[in-house]
Amino acid sequence: MPDKKVTIQATRFDPDHDEKPRLQSYEIPFSDESMVVLDALNYIKSHVDGSLSYRWSCRMGICGSCGMMVNGTPKLTCNAFLREYWPRPVVVEPLNNFPLIRDLVIDMDDFMHKLKSIKPWIIRKQEIPLGSGEHRQTNDQIDEFRQFSECINCMLCYAACPVYGLNNEFLGPAATALARRYNLDSRDQGLTQRLPVIADTEGVWECSFVGECSVVCPKGVDPAKAIQQTKLDTTMRFVLPFGNRE
Amino acid sequence: MTSEAHAAGREYRWRMPTSWWTRSRNYFFYVVREFTALPLALWLLWLLVEIKRAGDGPARYSPHGSAAFVVFSVVVLLFALYHSFTFLTLAGTIIHLRVLDRPVPPSLIVLSQFGLWAVASGVIAFVLIWFGR
Ligand code: SF4
Ligand code: FES
Repeated sequence: MPDKKVTIQATRFDPDHDEKPRLQSYEIPFSDESMVVLDALNYIKSHVDGSLSYRWSCRMGICGSCGMMVNGTPKLTCNAFLREYWPRPVVVEPLNNFPLIRDLVIDMDDFMHKLKSIKPWIIRKQEIPLGSGEHRQTNDQIDEFRQFSECINCMLCYAACPVYGLNNEFLGPAATALARRYNLDSRDQGLTQRLPVIADTEGVWECSFVGECSVVCPKGVDPAKAIQQTKLDTTMRFVLPFGNRE
Repeated sequence: MTSEAHAAGREYRWRMPTSWWTRSRNYFFYVVREFTALPLALWLLWLLVEIKRAGDGPARYSPHGSAAFVVFSVVVLLFALYHSFTFLTLAGTIIHLRVLDRPVPPSLIVLSQFGLWAVASGVIAFVLIWFGR
């Protein structure tokens, strides 16, 4: 029996020579049922075309760096099995909604800036001296925010969000989920510092609940839920007489 | 900070294709959901006109009863039901309540929203029919 093959069509873009991105086709051996899209890209890079550029690191769904569009859907390529697409060709493109630097590598500056803008660290009005011991939390208190702390910053949710695609001023799903993670943390007192960013018109109110961010999230973070809950919370703060509590 | 972008020189800017909403089923139904608000708003404007005309006294009031308007109203009713249904089913995701220090299950929250919706519709129907007699 002839060896099984799979066709990979990958985006190529050389900023020094190309006007716009184009797809390049590679036919490579599909030698093992456990092969993922990232394995196929690594095969191309090692055996066919060493100039193909893309990001990856852990190969196990942890680092969040291998996100790309696979047949039109944002996926972690280390978690997208070729067997689910074969015998159709697999089209691998850079994540939608971001500027393209080269081949499959997008510019993530905007995302990094947004993450930082919500101050993703524990803010205390007054720091407790180190010597006075740890901030204790019950399991219930951890459960309040655990889901929102699972994010691996893969940006699949931004690639799936048409609102961000149309207006990249929008704070977006992962940054809001991260803000909610800290706002729900019993040790944190930084809500009022985050409000100007999250409750802004380009914050949660820009979201019209497409919901696709939560569909594509590989970690079950449910950023759409974080955004809608933030809308409700900020509204309550505004309308209830005791809403402005810290 | 020297970003990768600066090091790489020219970037290819992302542009959203106008056909983005036809690319996935979820996008399509999202656009349909958002669109339902438009005929609904038109129907409500119409209702305001009718109320204004009714205010001119019973002699001059003849409500609009053409077949086209009835069909339009039925279509708008379906849109309103679809919009309300999608909105209320999301309540379980959005509302985050604790009673006696335990989180209220999302299904119960959704159920309570539909219950409130039914009660509100009943009250409004009663008021309209009672005063309309
Ligand atoms: S919320 Fe989910 S999809 Fe978005 S960056 Fe985090 S892990 Fe990725
Ligand atoms: S390579 Fe780390 S998440 Fe895929």
